[in-house]
Amino acid sequence: MKNGENYNNSRRNFFKTIAVSLLVIPFLDACKEKAITLLIRLSGTNHILGHRLRVKNFPKPTKEISIPYLIVGGGISGLSACRQLTKKGITDFLMVELEDHLGGNSSNGENKYSKYPLGAHYLPLPNLEDKALLEFLEEEKIILGYDSNGFPKFDETQLTFAPDERLYIKNNWQEGVVPKEGNTAQEDKELIRFFKLMDDFRIKKDEQGKYWFMIPLADSSENKDVKELDSITMKEWFDRNHFTSKPLYNYIDYCCKDDFGLGIEYVSAYAGIHYFAGRKQNASKDKHDSVLTWPEGNSRLTHHLQKYVKGKSLKNHLVYEIENHNNKAVAKVFDNKTKTSIAIIADKILLATPQFVNQYLLENRKGLASHFHYTPWLLATLVVSDLTDNGSFPLCWDNVIYGSKGLGYVYDQHQSLQQVQDKKVITYYYSFSSSDLKKTRRELYKKPKEYWKQMVFDDLKIAHPAIESATENIEIHLLGHGMISPVPNFIYGKAKKEASQPIADKIYFAHSDLSGISIFEEAFYQGINAVNSMIDETALDS
Amino acid sequence: MGKKFLKFEYLLLFAVFTIATCGLVYELVAGTLASYLLGDSVKQFSFIIGVYLFSMGIGSYFSKFLTKNLLNTFVEIEILVGLIGGLSSVILFLLFESIYSFQFILYFLVFITGCLVGLEIPLLMNILKDKVEFRDLVSNVFTFDYIGALLASILFPLILVPKLGIMGTSLFFGMINVSIAIALCYLLKNELKKIHLLRSKAILSFLILLVVFIFSDKILSFSEGKLYGENIIYTNTTPYQRIVLTHNKSDYRLYLNNNLQFSSADEYRYHEALVHPALSMAKNVTNVLVLGGGDGLAVREILKYKDVKKITLVDLDEGMTNMFKTNTILTGFNKNSLNNPKVSVFNKDAYIWAKNCSEKFDVVIVDFPDPSNYSLGKLYSLNFYATIQQLLKPDAVVVIQTTSPYFAPKSFWCINKTVMQVFPQVDAYHAYVPSFGEWGFTIAINGFGTTFNTVNRKLNNLRFYNYQFDKFNYFSQDMISKDIEINRLDNQILVRYFDEEWGKLQ
Repeated sequence: MKNGENYNNSRRNFFKTIAVSLLVIPFLDACKEKAITLLIRLSGTNHILGHRLRVKNFPKPTKEISIPYLIVGGGISGLSACRQLTKKGITDFLMVELEDHLGGNSSNGENKYSKYPLGAHYLPLPNLEDKALLEFLEEEKIILGYDSNGFPKFDETQLTFAPDERLYIKNNWQEGVVPKEGNTAQEDKELIRFFKLMDDFRIKKDEQGKYWFMIPLADSSENKDVKELDSITMKEWFDRNHFTSKPLYNYIDYCCKDDFGLGIEYVSAYAGIHYFAGRKQNASKDKHDSVLTWPEGNSRLTHHLQKYVKGKSLKNHLVYEIENHNNKAVAKVFDNKTKTSIAIIADKILLATPQFVNQYLLENRKGLASHFHYTPWLLATLVVSDLTDNGSFPLCWDNVIYGSKGLGYVYDQHQSLQQVQDKKVITYYYSFSSSDLKKTRRELYKKPKEYWKQMVFDDLKIAHPAIESATENIEIHLLGHGMISPVPNFIYGKAKKEASQPIADKIYFAHSDLSGISIFEEAFYQGINAVNSMIDETALDS
Repeated sequence: MGKKFLKFEYLLLFAVFTIATCGLVYELVAGTLASYLLGDSVKQFSFIIGVYLFSMGIGSYFSKFLTKNLLNTFVEIEILVGLIGGLSSVILFLLFESIYSFQFILYFLVFITGCLVGLEIPLLMNILKDKVEFRDLVSNVFTFDYIGALLASILFPLILVPKLGIMGTSLFFGMINVSIAIALCYLLKNELKKIHLLRSKAILSFLILLVVFIFSDKILSFSEGKLYGENIIYTNTTPYQRIVLTHNKSDYRLYLNNNLQFSSADEYRYHEALVHPALSMAKNVTNVLVLGGGDGLAVREILKYKDVKKITLVDLDEGMTNMFKTNTILTGFNKNSLNNPKVSVFNKDAYIWAKNCSEKFDVVIVDFPDPSNYSLGKLYSLNFYATIQQLLKPDAVVVIQTTSPYFAPKSFWCINKTVMQVFPQVDAYHAYVPSFGEWGFTIAINGFGTTFNTVNRKLNNLRFYNYQFDKFNYFSQDMISKDIEINRLDNQILVRYFDEEWGKLQ
């Protein structure tokens, strides 16, 4: 049997465990004294090369390439654009990317034990209205078909395995990340009232039948109520609705940082509510908050999209200037390998790059770009020999520590089908929510890796006191411009709209910062949308 | 006051110091043991400290009735504290199976130790009261008493328990206690009466403690053996589990992580029920796959059919399969099945192995541990069964051990329902295995080429299964459960059912 008869042995087990651990402690102490050589590796976006855009000390182009379509930037919006071009039957395009790999925020690393994300790590179940995304997921066999009620059948191995989330609160792990443990009746009431409000917002539509909160954001209502919500911070909304409870405040703050980098005090109420109300929860009969995830995070989706640029991408290439010239768009590109420059002459250029980059590529964009705020992020992937904790709830995919500075950690091997993992690999997330993002960004690069390592350990030690001695190596990944952060009056502001406008039918724009929130669905939409308008214009031209 | 008296006084004060140290160590031992065994450390420690202090008060109270032979009594108490305190952990270790008397004995021992320690100090003050000024006396006695207590409370967690273990610590301090008594016997031989008797008592007590100290490891394993209620004859800790084999009269039992895997007295019922229905109804049995079942007992049953040409066994734990290939008691049980040339053993993760396997099988026997955690729960998921289906020839038969339909009906029918999503024909059946209770199986056919009641081949020498499948697939009311969800990787509902159902029995 397997488990029946000796169930009442737990008392003995408990005793034995303690007895064994008491014997093991001095041994462990002895090991500790041997001075563990912890391997710390620092990685991140290539900000050194990127920063050369400011001074533009690049050699003059010595070569010319002509191509009908040039896509600048190999993140999700660029890749999605290439997929859309291919679908429209256009195959003569070229992509240039600054990094040595594609994917942008949807990239990954890999060690001996697991793949792990270096950025975005999950995709919530899509809204049934988002046909383009559903189609993509079906192409890639993430959706295996539809059942008789019209619900997509997701591949079981790509949905988060149970148990998916836990929260360390009041010295215990509880299931789920909404604080429940030890709340007062008043606090529980506020949580219920809040979620009821979110349910209402989720189905709210304007006079024209547009949802107040929709994905893509471009399909959302633009009525004055919505704009009003966009003009205040989430914190102001919280206060105006007479919310006072600490667990709810912390939970919303966590959610805002998780999706936007900035906390409740800085993001707009529209964005904050969008986190809850933008997802229509109509892709599954019962499991509303399920997400799709992979050990390597959204890099899996990058991998699916990469086939559309096979043999058509130049990596380690930095576009440093774009201009219209003789009815053509010309990009000057620096090849970081050969240290030479080329000029790419295109009929149309799609800039799938963020606006903080575009300000250096195009003239007179600095003013526009100043309206775009990007939160720095720090990710730390740890290989640990042991992740034992107080055992109050088993290890989950997403593990959040209540009241901690970071956003918790993801267990990267959670989606493994294997029974036992030799070593455990976890990725810790930290967003620098502050009012002075530039200063924070400078600090991010100035402080030594040991400083960040200690910060990560100190945060994780709340729930895992022994984590430092159990860690074998740690990779700290810095993202100076981690993601666009929707501060008040940004999503519905002028700057964003203006920055999306094509220039002279030659230069087009696609990036999640033009949506205002940094999620896969928006980047994916941006790519498709930009290509559609680019091609339409072409059709008109001919 | 002569020099000699000074020695006398300091000797006794040193004794106070030792008593205080030892007394607190016994209290800490009792508290620690009680928290280990009964849980709720705050409560246990609180009660123990309370009882200890209270009984010290009682001891102090009774000290006024001791008027004669004070010095002798002092030494005798010293011996008694050492003996009782020293042996307390051993007594508690051996008795903790019977929980009610355990609590009584625990507090009784704490009480006695407390009383004796409580007697000591007033007694000592009475001995010294005529020889030392009262003010000095009080101050010295209590100083040593409290210093001893501090020393004990620091040494206990940092050095004693890690180095000596709980039992060793209390025995060691018992010996220190008694050796002080022995020392006093020698140093104060002129002041003490009946010195020989006292000395013999002290030395005898010391020897008892020493012997127990030397054999404390044996006692530990004996107490572990008592927990199983059987004699442990073999243990092996592999990277995945602790394997314990016990023997009692004619019955051998194998435990994996303290869960009974089989009893040699009735395992034939389980393994016949697991193997023979599937092997008799399958169209072909040339190529058979066993997942789990590293004990080789299912393989032993499969090998009884001559038309089985090849058996593949996949079990994660190499330690387990090696044990059942080499240990003579164990190969006696499985008839050396794992060394049979028809059998190949792979020590791989079954899920990953199945995902990468391109071979096709006629029969698959799935004999995993019960879904008691989320890792094991994956091996009962919809996706896992779909993966298994990829390994099947048309009309192949799969049988899955499906926990107890009596103790865990929701779990049982959850697995059954999950299997139904994948295979065209699915049924369930159960058998009574005395050491397990009522045990169940899910069986599925990958096609319509055979039925559950078909018997394509049979053996004449089985002890339990009679090839009448329809006698086994009837479930009474109390083994039925409705409104059950399908177990998927993303809900792992089975682990929740299982926890709920078996947790109730805890």
